[in-house]
Amino acid sequence: MLEPKIVFALAAVLFSVGLYGVLSRGNLVLLLMSLELMLNAANVALVGVARYWAGMGGAADDFSRAHSGQFFTLMVMAVAAAEVGVGLAIIVAVFRRKHTSAADLATELKH
Amino acid sequence: MEVLFVFCAIVALIGGVLCVVQRNAIYSLLSLLVSFAGTAGVFFCLDASFVAVSQILIYAGAIAVLFLFVLMFTDTRTVLGMGTPRVVDSRAVFNPDAKPEAGTRVKRFVLPNPLAALISLGVLAAMLFAIFKLPERFGKFGPLVEGEGLARDGIVPMVQFGSASGITLVTFQDFPLAFEVVSILIFAAVLGAVLLAKRHTAQATEPEPAVATEDE
Repeated sequence: MLEPKIVFALAAVLFSVGLYGVLSRGNLVLLLMSLELMLNAANVALVGVARYWAGMGGAADDFSRAHSGQFFTLMVMAVAAAEVGVGLAIIVAVFRRKHTSAADLATELKH
Repeated sequence: MEVLFVFCAIVALIGGVLCVVQRNAIYSLLSLLVSFAGTAGVFFCLDASFVAVSQILIYAGAIAVLFLFVLMFTDTRTVLGMGTPRVVDSRAVFNPDAKPEAGTRVKRFVLPNPLAALISLGVLAAMLFAIFKLPERFGKFGPLVEGEGLARDGIVPMVQFGSASGITLVTFQDFPLAFEVVSILIFAAVLGAVLLAKRHTAQATEPEPAVATEDE
């Protein structure tokens, strides 16, 4: 039986998998990929909430507003795309300077 | 629909886990694509067909290709898991002899990181606890209703939930400002990406100051 709690649980598991990736990978590109996984998990939860709201049987003019979650999912996708663009450009810039994309070697600000 | 949901959820989970644990970054990226495809199926099961299609278009079509480009740009040796580079004069250099010996296989998966696993399992436990404590009405999805679209020639069309017409309604009736702001954000991001990744010919040839290494 498809129910909201299962959808939220799926989102939570996906999120923690992405969190593990962000915390454990040393490569900057892989780090960004895990970040995408986390954003995607948030999208799953948003779409689940949108579906829940649509099934609550609100007033007729609530119909477009019941799409809010899905609209917000699209916004998250757009922001994720912008973030990936800038992040990958930063990785390329770091790579030009350090000849690596290992996160532990970008330590200029540590001193 | 439930069977499709369970199948897509399992595909998304397996893809995500493989993305995180695989050593070869190209395989990681492919697993991430599998995970996104599974998530698109989950969206479809939750009556968000437009979001599912844009998930495939944006993530699989655009973002994955961008990642692939940067993976090819940057060092394939750390990407392929052939050891980490040494730092000489604050630059990372690879030992050219660091290729794996003939007898040993390069491991497929990275070693688990206990601290990261502990933190993410703790966060997962907290989230699952909160989900478990949700009120009873979150136990099931209600039936979907069709809504009224915009009237045209005196006829009001019925709009299915999650279709492109529904998304258009919410975008331009309820949140037009957010739509415009996102377009400005993407414009700024594109400008920033071009500026950051552009080759500064004067600076690129200039050697880094040696002070950075002496502090270590």
